[in-house]
Order: sequence, then C-alpha cells, then structure tokens
Amino acid sequence: MAENTVVHQSRRKTLKLIRLQEQLTGYLFILPALIIILIFGIFPIGYSIYMSLFNWQVTKGPFIGDKNYLLIFGSWWNLLVLVAGLGLIILGSLVWGKAFQSLNNGQRLAHIAGALVLILGGVIFVTGWGMMYETGNKDFLNSLIVTVYYALGTVPAEIILGLVLAYILYQDIVGKEAFRMIYFLPYITPSISTAVVFQIIFSSRETSLANRLIGFFGVDPLKWRFEPKPVLKLLGVNVSGLAGGPSLALLTIIIFGIWSFVGYNTVIFLSGLGNIPKEIYEAAEMDGGSKWDRFWHITIPMISPVTFYLTLIGFIGTFKAFNHLYVMRTPSAQDTVITTSLLVFDRFYKANQYGVATAQAIVLFIVIMGLTLAQNKVMGERVFYG
Amino acid sequence: MDNSAAVLDPQKEIKENHAGRILGKALLYIILLFGAVVFIFPFFWMISNSLMTLGETITRQLVPKVPQWINYKEAWEQANFSKYFLNSVLVTLGTLTGLLFTSILAGYAFGRIEFKGKNILFGLFLATMMIPESVTLIPNYLLIRGTIIPLPGGTWINTYWALTVPFMANAFSIFLLRQFFAQIPDELWDAARIDGCDHLRFLVQIVMPISKAPIMTVLLFGFTASWNAFQWPLLVTTRDTWRPLMVGLYGFVQEAGPYTHWLMAGAVITIIPILIVYFLTQKQFTQGIATTGLKG
Repeated sequence: MAENTVVHQSRRKTLKLIRLQEQLTGYLFILPALIIILIFGIFPIGYSIYMSLFNWQVTKGPFIGDKNYLLIFGSWWNLLVLVAGLGLIILGSLVWGKAFQSLNNGQRLAHIAGALVLILGGVIFVTGWGMMYETGNKDFLNSLIVTVYYALGTVPAEIILGLVLAYILYQDIVGKEAFRMIYFLPYITPSISTAVVFQIIFSSRETSLANRLIGFFGVDPLKWRFEPKPVLKLLGVNVSGLAGGPSLALLTIIIFGIWSFVGYNTVIFLSGLGNIPKEIYEAAEMDGGSKWDRFWHITIPMISPVTFYLTLIGFIGTFKAFNHLYVMRTPSAQDTVITTSLLVFDRFYKANQYGVATAQAIVLFIVIMGLTLAQNKVMGERVFYG
Repeated sequence: MDNSAAVLDPQKEIKENHAGRILGKALLYIILLFGAVVFIFPFFWMISNSLMTLGETITRQLVPKVPQWINYKEAWEQANFSKYFLNSVLVTLGTLTGLLFTSILAGYAFGRIEFKGKNILFGLFLATMMIPESVTLIPNYLLIRGTIIPLPGGTWINTYWALTVPFMANAFSIFLLRQFFAQIPDELWDAARIDGCDHLRFLVQIVMPISKAPIMTVLLFGFTASWNAFQWPLLVTTRDTWRPLMVGLYGFVQEAGPYTHWLMAGAVITIIPILIVYFLTQKQFTQGIATTGLKG
C-alpha cells in the first residue's frame, strides 16, 4: 500500500517534469524568433510614440508633448470636428440601413433620416478638413490625398483585371501554367529594376515609347512622369491642383503599380476558383443558366472572401508602398506624387526631423488601422462564406 | 426563319454551337495573349535596349542591329557591380540562414508544443504583419546606429549585421510553417517518442524531411525579399562596403542618366538571379503563395 503511493507519487512527479520540460522546450524554440521580432518589430512602435513627443532632430531634444501632432492637425479642435464628422457619417449609414424597421413606412423614413445625418456628417467632415488645411501641415494632408488617389487608382483595377485573367485561365486553357508564370513575373522581379524600364518607356521625350504609342492615335506627346497637371485637365476639364484628381505623373506610377501587382491577384484568385465545388456549376448548368449568369451568381459570391482579402492587403500595401514610388518620382511632378510614406521618409532622411516624422508615421498607422476596420465592417458583411 | 431551321436541323445547331464555342475560345486566348504581351514587354524592352548602341536607344529602335554584349561588361565595371553583387549574395545567404533557423523552430513550437501564453504570443507575432515600415523604420535606424542601446562595435551602420539581423525572423514565415507542421499526424510523434525521440530530434529527423515544400516557399520568399530590399539598405549603408545591388543600381540610375543602354544592362544584371531561382522553382513558388494566400 505504502509502496504503491510512492510509485504513484513519483509517476506524478515525472509527469509534471515532462510537462515542465515540454513548456521549456516551447519557450526555447520560439526564443530566437521572439527576440528579433520583439526588438525590431514591436519595440519600435512604442519607441516611435515616445520619439514623437520630443523635439527630436537627429539627437533627442526637449520634451514638447503634442506639438508634433499639432503641427499636423493645427489644433485638436480641428481633429475633433473631423472625427465628429466621420462619426456622423458612420451613424448616418447605420440609420439608413437599420433604423425604424418596425414601422410601416420604416424604410423610407430611415433613408430620409439617414441621408440627412450623412449629409450633415459630410459637411462637418469637410469643414474639419478645411480647418485642418488652414492651420495644419498642408504637405501631410496633401500626401494623404495622393495616397488615396494611388490606392483608388490601383486596387480596384488590380482586383478586376486579376479576377478576369484568373477566370479565363480557369477554363480549359492550353498553356495555363506558362500564362500564370508570365503574369506573376512582374510581382517577383525587383521593383527598382522594373521601375527603371518604366522610366524609359514613359520618358518625356517625343520619341519615347509611350509618346509614340499615343502619337499613333493622334495625341500630342505628353510629359508623363514629369507632368504635375491633373489628368482631367489634360483631357480638357477645367480643374487644377490636387482637388482635380491624380496628376499624369501619378497615373504613370499607378500604371506601374497595376502592372506589377495584377499577377499576384491572378494567382490567388486562380487558387480560390479551384476551391469552388464543381457540383454547384453543374447544377446551375442543368438549370439552364448562361455562362454569364453563372459568373455573376456563382463565381462572384463564392469568390468574395478572396476578393475581400485581396482588397484588404491591396489597400494596406498601397499605403505602405515605397520603393517604386521613390524611384519613379520626379521633382517637376511636385507634390502630386508624394504619398505619405514618401513624405515621412523625406522628413526623416532628408530633413532630419525625427520627431515630426514619427508623429506623421503614427498618424499614418492610425489611418491604415481605421481603413482596415472600416473595410472589415463594410465588406465583411457582404462576404459570402460558403 | 433561320431559327426554326436551326431547330429542325439538330446537326446544324451543333455545328453553329461549335463554331460559336471556337470563336469564344479564340477570344479568350486573344485576351490572355494580350495580357502576356503587356506583362512581358517591359522585360523585352529592357533586354533589347541593353544590347543597343547609345544612338539606337535614342532613335528607339525595336531591336538592336548588332547586339552590343560589351554593354554588360561596361555597365558592370562602371557601376561597381562586382562589389554590390557579392554584397547582395552574402546578405541574402546570411538572412536566409537566420530566417530558416528561427522560423522552423518557432513554427514547430507554435504548431506542435503546448506552452502557456502560446496563443497570445502567436497573435502578437501576426499583428506585426500589419504595421507599416514607416513606423518601425526610424527607431530601428536608431537601434542600428547604436543610439538607443550600446551595440558590440559601437555602431552597426555600414555593417553586415545591419542588413541581415533585423530580417532573420518574420511572422509570415513562422505562420506558413506552423500551418504545415500542425497538420502532421500525432501518431508520428507518439511513435517517435516511444523510441526515445525528443522534440528537437523529431523536428530534424522526421518533420523537416517531409516539409520540403513549405520550407522551400519560405526560402523563396526570403530570397526575393532580401534580394529586392531597397529602403532599409539605403538607410543603413553610406559607403560601398556593404551596399547591396538595389542601392547600387539606384545610385547608377542617378549617375548614368541618359546612358539608357548601360542602365538597362544594369537592370538586367540585377534581375537575372531572381529569374533563375523563379524558373527553377516556379511551381512551388506560385503554389506556396496560393495555398497560404499571403503576401511576402
């Protein structure tokens, strides 16, 4: 009896020991990765916030609190107005969709109320933006606009082209592997090297390839990368400045962005299409739906999680994009090609204003997080998960 | 009239349908080929221009009359590429060695070992994928400069360590390997444990040999990321000692300006290693990103 408990106890001890050993092995295994990720991935976020509170130029200066942030917004009041406007816009869209549903005429009422709140929110948002523009950092706010233009110019086009190419490749195509390989090529090749070729193709010379191509259609030579005027203005619409839409210089960079990224979307879409069960298509075929119907009513909804994912990383990617923008920008395109990531880098690398740069980087980070959340909310509800 | 005739004659209907299908197929191929031309043309233009004389690049011939192979030699020498090329190779090799070491171990631990705080740590790792470089860049620069904490050797600016150490672990690689390791059947581990295997031996002798595909994917992503890196090397190298190829090419672009033929030869040189690796492994590469669906 006594012996039995001893055996039992020692067994329990060894079991405990084994478990402890298991735990230790786990920690030991992740330790090398943990050290590097903690030091170079997580610590810098905290340190950035710390730096942004100082007048930091190459070396640490005096503590100045929110001054670096005030340089961006002008005043906290401006930011408050802007955020209030945003809040109302969100509220308005909620009212539009969900309010008064128990009432008889509920939907119409909800639409009216929602629209009113939306308009109010929009007005307040624009007012806040205007106030910020008056007293805040115009360069930074401009760079946000440029970034949004860049994102809107690239991501939707990349999604649509990627889906179309993937859908075609998904049919019985001879040489499917070869096509896929070619489409993916721009994505893996160094963007510095390929951007150099685009510089040559889109140079402002009359004999450049791009100018010869448009000359073929009877259009006069353009300055491409060097043209700060909005594309719309070149098309004859009377607009000017950043409010007039992306400049031709930015459009050139957008074309490069689309070219280098479509292949990635195609490959991901292609694998997503492969995961749609064949039976669904067969059933639809028997019901007599046309090919087009099947694309709209089966493929699009079934592929929506992939679309959602690609849109998300597409937007995050454009907000983070740096290399090809840095190489393709020209001084004569002025601020029409300076996205926020470029601006932050210049503040830091050229102007040596580390404190200002970190504050701007953190605002950019918050904008990215906000966009991600909003996208999650807006698109997430429409995604169809099998 | 035509319609009814078609219905009456089933053979004709099939034929017409057939013709329509061929036409549709042809249209698809035309779109695909057009896409292929658009994607490949800049590469063609790069190669073709790299073999032209300066005069030919200005008059914009489509192809050179006589390929000027000497351009490559000249660009290589002008741009100091032997130094940069060697730097890039060494930096890539070093980064990959460290990356494989950290991510195989961590991927295994997250996938197959139970320990406290595992999920929180894994979530923390994944969260780092969302953070823009703009935020981490400046503190990391100060770290490498030796401003925040003292480093062995004072500063790491213009050293091999600055270019390799920060990239020796990333959440993406760990995530990718974890997904694969977690799927390995427990029976294998039970059998190995009875034979007296511990985790490390099991990992090295059994798990790694059957995980060649995901390990290759991590390697390939690491390779392109390291080879294509630009922003960070631009920041932490001020002299040629450890400047990699991309920064070298950028400098060459600034200097060579109008000498298009040299620029293009330089660009081709920087792309060749990536192309070789891509063509050798392209199946695993595209499958790798397709199955994980993540961006490297």
